[in-house]
Amino acid sequence: MKKALFLLLGMLLIAGPACALELEYFKVYKPADGMSADEIMQIENFVKYTKCARDAQFEGKAYFIDKSGAVRERETTRVRITLGRKSDDIAYKDLVMFTAPTQVKGLATLTWTYMDPKRQQDSWLWVPSLRKIRKISAANGDDSFMGSDFTVEDILTRRYEDETYTLLGSENFKGYACEFDKKTYFQGAPCFVIEAKPKRSPWYYSKRVLWVEKNTGGGIYEEMYDPTGRMFKTIFKDYQIYKVDGKDYAAQVLLEGKDLRTGHRTVIINTKITFDKGLSEAAFTERALSESRW
Amino acid sequence: MRRCLVILLLLLCAGGAYANDQFSYSGYLQSEVSLRINHANGDLTKFKNIFQIAGQYKIIGDELVFFSKARYWYDAAYDLRDKMDIAQHYQGHVQRTDWLRDCYLDYTNNPWFLRLGKQQVVWGQSDGIAVLDRVNPVDLSEYWLPDMEYIRIPLWMANINYSPKLDSNLQILIIPDFEQSTSAAIGAPFTTYSYIRYDNWKKTVGGVDENLYFPGKNFENSTFGVQWSDRFADMNYTFNYLNGFYYSARNATIHLSGPYFGPFSYWKVNRSFKRYSLYGASFNKSVTNPGPLQGFTFRGDFAYYNDEPMYYGNPVTASSAGIKRWNNIMWVLGADRYVFTKWLISGQYGQYILQHSKPNDPRPQYNYILNPYTYGAMDPVENIFSLKISTYFLNDRLRPEVLWSFTDDNQGRISPKATYEIKDNIWLTVGVHYFYGHLLDSNGQYRDQDQAYMNLKFTF
Repeated sequence: MKKALFLLLGMLLIAGPACALELEYFKVYKPADGMSADEIMQIENFVKYTKCARDAQFEGKAYFIDKSGAVRERETTRVRITLGRKSDDIAYKDLVMFTAPTQVKGLATLTWTYMDPKRQQDSWLWVPSLRKIRKISAANGDDSFMGSDFTVEDILTRRYEDETYTLLGSENFKGYACEFDKKTYFQGAPCFVIEAKPKRSPWYYSKRVLWVEKNTGGGIYEEMYDPTGRMFKTIFKDYQIYKVDGKDYAAQVLLEGKDLRTGHRTVIINTKITFDKGLSEAAFTERALSESRW
Repeated sequence: MRRCLVILLLLLCAGGAYANDQFSYSGYLQSEVSLRINHANGDLTKFKNIFQIAGQYKIIGDELVFFSKARYWYDAAYDLRDKMDIAQHYQGHVQRTDWLRDCYLDYTNNPWFLRLGKQQVVWGQSDGIAVLDRVNPVDLSEYWLPDMEYIRIPLWMANINYSPKLDSNLQILIIPDFEQSTSAAIGAPFTTYSYIRYDNWKKTVGGVDENLYFPGKNFENSTFGVQWSDRFADMNYTFNYLNGFYYSARNATIHLSGPYFGPFSYWKVNRSFKRYSLYGASFNKSVTNPGPLQGFTFRGDFAYYNDEPMYYGNPVTASSAGIKRWNNIMWVLGADRYVFTKWLISGQYGQYILQHSKPNDPRPQYNYILNPYTYGAMDPVENIFSLKISTYFLNDRLRPEVLWSFTDDNQGRISPKATYEIKDNIWLTVGVHYFYGHLLDSNGQYRDQDQAYMNLKFTF
């Protein structure tokens, strides 16, 4: 009996990873009916980090809006090169530069993300007040991303391997009424509804309920629940398709994060998005960071 | 006149910024007020207003770019405080050479990068301890309290970079320019105790003939620097070499005639700059793989100073007997980690190890190496520590931090501060500098100069 149980457990362990897809970098994937929650979330993760594109550039603005309606702004340029290189384990490199307001202008962060999901990122910071590069420790996943309502994990570090998934169903999305531009997004869009639970425990959230749009593979809306089971945050992402050399790249155009406890909101709008411009990896080095003028 | 032309050029660039994206600019107006809190009535020690404007012009896209930054300030505390009158000329408004902070041309054509003009070059990984950060001289008129970007004095130089492979870089610096490091004038809040003692001595002995000899203006007197940087086993490292004049002049005092103290006494003080070499290395590494050290970032600097000019003499009477050219070592190791959500702790430990030998003065009481800040005795090995804790609240709107730097001589500085973003373009910083230690120690010399300060910055 014991042997049979061990055999069954062994088969399940082997069968588990077999559910996962073997996604290749620089290809476009979309979720389809009949896929498991794991497969859908693998694609969602792939789309989120634009692994389909060799490089991407986002120029945008971030708005920090407090409960009273007071708004603070940041302007950033974000550049990414996707490598998926097994020789040195590098998945992609990001460079985020603040371009306004003046107080933070010039501040830039270079981040290397590794393919091994257990590895933390390597990060370097260009500090204008010191005129030097500072190697920095990886922020905790539950730290705020640039002071926004998104965590570092929401934007940068959450991997497919960090959670377990359950497919709750498939439905047409009820629509998201964006408070920032007063538009309603994705009304009636076919979505998978997935429950994601973090493997890490205790953690700042107990589960996320996520709507993954079938057309783009992007996680367009999620509700986050704290360890007591109370919803504390919602995140909306407007994904749009960009045609690049005949391929459909899904990109995040607008993000709205709401902290239901504080009433604070963050809106990120990417005003200019380009893909596959042939960026050189030399632009993602310490030397490139030190060439900053501001 | 030249200053006006540069500012005019920057303003013209600023105007052009609206026309196309070839031009861009930014600037700020900052008001800094500080009070000496040891004083019963809160003594005003700074009322400084700073105007800065920076502009860049892209001549050929990102390949050829001109960048310039000018800064002007006026410290009205020197007008308002009678006792600071004596320092007015040097401290109140004289910009010396630091009004033009940057003025250079960038040429980028991978693997080459050239930056030609007036600039700062920063070497090393340590925070606030200049182990390798010695390419530029420093302005210590407010001790080491301002940001390093303010403290370094920019120099005209050729900064040539070549990257033979990804993540590596060879940097060559040719610096024909020379500026001396400066410190606060007599009468200012942060005048070094050694300067006060020297000034008192001058008043006591009467006639002193002071001469300052700068290095001759020729190519041979340039400063030369080389840095090789690369990455090995997930660790970034550099090797550094610098050869040039030490930026602080050292006094050689000669008694020429008459009794030591008397009407016929005649003293000559010659100040000159000595050439020395720096051999160094630095590294940084974040532990990214799972394990007990995951999340830590380690960094370090090491330097060997060959022929570093050091004062020696009698620390009791503050008498410098002369200069020794010693071979000294300085190193710093630092570690950073986020310990809880959004709390960053950063610690540093270092040593300044003086050459293990005596100055060999025939008078035993003169056999001490002197701290150049105070003319107090220096330990053969100075142990240096720093600890910084920082965090943020209100969606990064409020940023408190505290820095504690100290040595094994029970002297140091504790500097808590908080920055608050009132609006996108208005920022407020409040803080305190608390000094403690013996009067003859670097921080202890300011133990009666504890400061509370407030900076209000308007940016555009």
